[in-house]
Amino acid sequence: MGNTLAIAKKELRIYFTTATSYVLLTAFAAITAYFFVVLVGAYAAQTTQFMGMQAQQMLERMNFNDQVILPLFFNIYVFFLILLPMVTMRLIAEEKRTKTMQLLMTTPVRPIEIVLGKYIAASTLIFVMLAITMVYPLILQIYGASTGDAAPIDWATVLCGYLGMFLLGAAVIAFGLFASSVTDSQIVAVLVSFAVLILFWMIGWAGYGQQGFVADLTANLSLINHLESFTRGILKVSDLVYYVSVIALGLFLTHRAVEAERWN
Amino acid sequence: MIEVRELTKRYRDLVAVDRVSFNVTKGEIVGFLGLNGAGKSTTMKVVTGYIPATTGTAKVAGFDVFEEPMEVKRRIGYLPEIVPIYPDLTVTEYLDFVASIKGVAKKAKKGEIERVLEKAQLKDVRERLTGNLSKGFQQRCGIAQALLGNPPVLILDEPTSGLDPQQQRNVRELIQALAAEHTIMLSTHNLAEVEQICKRAIIIHRGKLAADDLVQNLISRYKTPERTPNFYEVFDTMLNDLDRQATPAANTAVRAA
Ligand SMILES: Nc1ncnc2c1ncn2[C@@H]1O[C@H](COP(=O)(O)OP(=O)(O)O)[C@@H](O)[C@H]1O
Ligand SMILES: [Mg+2]
Repeated sequence: MGNTLAIAKKELRIYFTTATSYVLLTAFAAITAYFFVVLVGAYAAQTTQFMGMQAQQMLERMNFNDQVILPLFFNIYVFFLILLPMVTMRLIAEEKRTKTMQLLMTTPVRPIEIVLGKYIAASTLIFVMLAITMVYPLILQIYGASTGDAAPIDWATVLCGYLGMFLLGAAVIAFGLFASSVTDSQIVAVLVSFAVLILFWMIGWAGYGQQGFVADLTANLSLINHLESFTRGILKVSDLVYYVSVIALGLFLTHRAVEAERWN
Repeated sequence: MIEVRELTKRYRDLVAVDRVSFNVTKGEIVGFLGLNGAGKSTTMKVVTGYIPATTGTAKVAGFDVFEEPMEVKRRIGYLPEIVPIYPDLTVTEYLDFVASIKGVAKKAKKGEIERVLEKAQLKDVRERLTGNLSKGFQQRCGIAQALLGNPPVLILDEPTSGLDPQQQRNVRELIQALAAEHTIMLSTHNLAEVEQICKRAIIIHRGKLAADDLVQNLISRYKTPERTPNFYEVFDTMLNDLDRQATPAANTAVRAA
């Protein structure tokens, strides 16, 4: 446990002393902020329009969750996923390239501790990435409350959505870590993670128009399909099991790769 | 302290180390000599538990490297040939990290880091990024790292390579100062260095043990009534003799299938 935390601490230190994490966080914050502003603008425009039309029924149906947060989630997770391979590319590949792996492997640290330590660090970074975007629902909450709406936001749904996005990210970085463990090149690591990510992102599409087994299989393998219920505030065991299994598989493969390192 | 028996390491079809055996007793400081590619680093990697031997055994402080790797790793300070530093960490951050993974107790850590900073003369650069240090200072970081936790055995792979003569002398003096408390095995191809700081030399050539004796004995082996050769000449003559004995066929036998 101590070793795992020491490795996690070292990785976090490197994340936050080099430009990587700042670039990632800034890019992510800037892009999502842009979409937030656009979505809020659209919401305001629509409200004004309905008010002009005196469409009371329509106005009553307007709410932040459906009109702003749900589409915002879509933008957040897309850019989140695109940035994730960069979170993990360095983690093991760089230790191999610079031969610091020799140091890790000749101190009393077990490979599993190396893998978990690095995974914890990457998970922390993606947690921070997502946490930053929490300001958007918070802004809506504060604004809504100031206009006299007691509960402008359904926070249970919002938090459920965030849990889903975190699990999605955690699954992707588990495979990103694996990609980083099979090469000593960060570029190769990032390309491999992109390839795997895109494959499991798009696999759901392969099932469109299909029926029965193929449709079920592709839908169930798809990284994104399992996010949908979360964003609507529904926690399904099957979705949890999916993400946890992907994480476990990614970490298992990474562990194997780190162990095998010495046997070449 | 270190017992190597019939150690063979094969990389695919290349035999890098071929049935090498030697002992290093407690408190000794032994020079491990050989040309580039002789198999020095490979032997050290096996002894430190980084890579497994193909056949044969290595023991450190009585523990088999393969059977009880953790016990061995706890007792060794290792400076790999390529100094394992993280360029984005400062010297203190780096040592703090290595102390943690070496299992130095939290309370003792601070004092331990101060101790090795002092030993390796790194105090003036303690807050600098290791990546920005000169080669000489990076090498000292590597040595400082090996000293953390005060392991009884030090394995130093070419601790003075790539340094200017001044830095080499500093590192040499540092190693000599460490000899009192540690069993040290260091590889080098600087023969003057061995003459100065090691009593005993183990020489390997093309993966095979070529000699294992006190430096003075090795020199007297080649002494003639007219003159005493220096260690460099001894080394040269010894390897030439070995190459002459080995027929061309024997040379290729090193690359056994
Ligand atoms: N990982 C490896 N894969 C294949 N061959 C290697 C590897 N490491 C070393 N070798 C080869 O093994 C031989 C011994 O290398 P090494 O132990 O590094 O020698 P030295 O340290 O004495 O210079 C060399 O011929 C080298 O090319
Ligand atoms: Mg070497």
